Amino acid sequence: MDITSYQIVAPLVSVVSLVYAWNLWYRQKKTLWEAALWTLFWASIALIAFYPDILTYLTAATGIKDQVNAILVTCIGILFFMVFYMIMRLEEMEQRQVRLIRAMALREAGLSHEDGERGKERVG
Amino acid sequence: MKIVAVIPAYNEASRVGAVVHAARQYVDRVVVVDDGSIDATGVAAAAAGALVVRHPENAGAGAATMTGIEAARALGADIIVTIDADEQHDPRDIPALLQPVREGRADVVFANRFWSTSLGRSRNRIPAIRRLFNTIGNVVTFLAAGLWVRDSQCGFKVFGPKALSGVHLQTRGFEFCTEVIREARRHHWRIAEVPVKVVYSAYTLAKGQSFAIGVKTALQILLRSFLR
Repeated sequence: MDITSYQIVAPLVSVVSLVYAWNLWYRQKKTLWEAALWTLFWASIALIAFYPDILTYLTAATGIKDQVNAILVTCIGILFFMVFYMIMRLEEMEQRQVRLIRAMALREAGLSHEDGERGKERVG
Repeated sequence: MKIVAVIPAYNEASRVGAVVHAARQYVDRVVVVDDGSIDATGVAAAAAGALVVRHPENAGAGAATMTGIEAARALGADIIVTIDADEQHDPRDIPALLQPVREGRADVVFANRFWSTSLGRSRNRIPAIRRLFNTIGNVVTFLAAGLWVRDSQCGFKVFGPKALSGVHLQTRGFEFCTEVIREARRHHWRIAEVPVKVVYSAYTLAKGQSFAIGVKTALQILLRSFLR
């Protein structure tokens, strides 16, 4: 079996990306859901690199028979992924904004925001 | 046991004073979270004897409730009662809501505005559209939390010592009611439901949740289910 350079590079990039994603999850900078999505995405890339014939099955399953269709469907998939990712980032930013508003309000009322609570939020 | 009432309020200057005044008879301290109101809500609440915590920006009912919970913890509360600022709830129901916690039967108590008599009639005059919204809210909440509560979207609640120390709400809007139920299931808190009186006026109906807010709330609940 001849191995192309793409079949070496793509799985390596996938492994690095997966290690990076799960490292972020371990440090509570990514949710479990995000890490699982990244795993699905990069595992698919690696799998297709190893077994290109999978694309033949995809063609049969999806009806995508020419390259233009394939590009369009891929672009829609990537855009969908980006929108979902941005929603999650937006949610995280709003959470931070609320925490800031709360801390300011409690401090102004003379009720200090507990440090322990911040720690719990990082863990949660 | 120190009991603190938490009242999240947004533009309720004409009503919040009366709620604070009535609630003070049943609790040790009243905390009003002025959620970035543009009227004199904070001034009215303070004049009625509440400790006012003011959000510099409007952050939502859920965020304001969690701020009130944080404030109550800082004040050394053992039990908290959350109650709406628009006079929809009757503070005279507070003792009945506290009872299951005082007796050690429950960690969190939910008010039930939709209770019925033995004849099947509700004791409260509630518009049909409100009943429909509540039923939809109950179903969505059950799907998201796995726990059936008869009035899942009511803001009138009691948190006992165990629930008070463990509750950590992350939602900002009205979906916090569903989050409380999910927290109850996750932490295995014992729950109780107590029938309460509710007063719907033109004012409360105008200020209450619309269909659009209900849809937004449902979507937020589903989104948070994914992000958990």
